[in-house]
Amino acid sequence: MQNWLSPMEWQAVLISAKVAFWATLAITPMAFLTAYALVRWEFPGKTILNGLAHLPLILPPVVTGYMLLLLFGTQGFIGGWLQDIGIVLAFRWTGAAVAAGVMAFPLMVRALRLSLEAIDIRLEQAAATLGASPIWVFATVTVPLMIPGLLTGTILSFAKALGEFGATITFAANIPGQTQTIPSAIYALLQVPGQEDAAARLVVISVSIALAALFLSEALARRAHKRLEGL
Amino acid sequence: MFDTLVQDFEAETGHSAQVNFAGSALLARQIELGAPVDVFVSANQQWMDHLEAVGRVDSANRFPLAGNRLALVSSFPEDKSREVETVLSSLEAADRVAMGLVAAVPAGQYGKVALEYLGLWGDLRDRVVQMDNVRAALTLVHLGETRLAVVYETDAESQPDVFLVGLFPPESHPRIEYPAAAVGQSPTKATLDFIVFLQSDATKSRLEQFGFGPVKP
Repeated sequence: MQNWLSPMEWQAVLISAKVAFWATLAITPMAFLTAYALVRWEFPGKTILNGLAHLPLILPPVVTGYMLLLLFGTQGFIGGWLQDIGIVLAFRWTGAAVAAGVMAFPLMVRALRLSLEAIDIRLEQAAATLGASPIWVFATVTVPLMIPGLLTGTILSFAKALGEFGATITFAANIPGQTQTIPSAIYALLQVPGQEDAAARLVVISVSIALAALFLSEALARRAHKRLEGL
Repeated sequence: MFDTLVQDFEAETGHSAQVNFAGSALLARQIELGAPVDVFVSANQQWMDHLEAVGRVDSANRFPLAGNRLALVSSFPEDKSREVETVLSSLEAADRVAMGLVAAVPAGQYGKVALEYLGLWGDLRDRVVQMDNVRAALTLVHLGETRLAVVYETDAESQPDVFLVGLFPPESHPRIEYPAAAVGQSPTKATLDFIVFLQSDATKSRLEQFGFGPVKP
C-alpha cells in the first residue's frame, strides 16, 4: 500500500485519520454537555446557545475558517492568549483538527439531542424512586439509553471531519506533511492537468475509511440495541 | 478588473457579456466537458495548453492578454525599505511565508522557482504556508498571520496595509502571462469582436491602469 501511494498522499491519509479522530474525540464531551443543556435545562440564552451550536452548519465553510483564523490565529483574540501558554493552532495539524471539530460539532449535538429527547423520563424517575442518586441514574440509565445517539453522532462527526475542506484550508492552510488532509490533497492534485489518477486513489481511500467506520458503528449500535432490550 | 473590461466592451460594441469567475482548474474542466463558454481567460498556461490539447481551444484564437510580476509583501512596515533577498534570508524563528500551493497554483509554482533561483528555497521550505489561491496568501499577511507572502505585483497593489518589499528579478522565474482564447473551433462574430477588443489599445491602457504589465512578443 505504501508503494501504491506517493509519500505525499500517504501523509495526507495519516493526517486525515489523526485529524478526524482527535476532532471527534475532543468535541464529544462538549457536544454532550451542549445537548444535555438544550434538552434538560432551562436557562437564559438557551436560544442563543442553540443558534451558536448550529452556526457551522449554516455558514459557508470558508467563513467558519476565516472566523477561526480571526479568533484562533496567532494575532487572534484567543489564539494570542493560547500562544502565550505555548499552544499554536494556525497552520498546524491541531488547527486542522479544530476546524474539523467545529464543523462536525452541530452534527454531534443534533444526534445526541434526539437520543436524549427520546428517553422516557419515567425510566429515570423509576430509578430514582428505587433509591438511585441523580449521578447513578445518569450513569446507569440516561447514558446507556443514549448510546445509539452517541454512536450516530460519532460516526457523523468522524465522516464530516474526514471530508472537511473549506474551513480547514482557510484556517490551517494546505501544507504537505502538516495540514494537508485527504480533501486538500485531492484539491491540490485536481489543480494540475493529468493528476486525476492520484486524486482517484485518494477518493477510494477516503470512501473506504468512511465506509469502514460506518460499518463498525452499525455493528456497535446493533450490539448496544440488543443489550438495551435485554435489560 | 475584468468587470471593468467587460463594461468597456459592452459600451463600445453593444454586445452583452456574462462573466463567470473561478479558478483555472475548475473553469478548464467545465470547458473541457462542454460548458457553454465563448472566451476563457486564465492565469494558468498549463490549463490553456490542456484545452488546446483536447481541442476545445484553437491556437489561432489564443493570445497572451497581460503580464504580471512576482512580488514579496510583508506585514512589517520596516520591510518596505529592505531588499527582497535580505528580508527572506534574515527571518526570525516564528516568521512564515504564505504562498499559493507550490505544486499547483501558478503564483506558488513561479514563487518556488524564484526562491530556488535565489538559493533560498532549501532554508524557506519549512516556513512556507501553502494556500489554495494567491489571494488567500495575501489575506494571511493582511491579518498578520504570516510575516510575508509571495504574490503578484497587482495583488500587492490592491491590498491596503500590506507592504510591498519588492519584486522578484524577472530572470528568476518563467515569464508570467495570462493567456486568453476563444473557446471552440468556430467562434461567433460576437466572440471574435471580444477577442479583438481584448487585444486593442483601449484594453492595454485599462490593464496598465490596474497594474498589469505589457505582454512581450
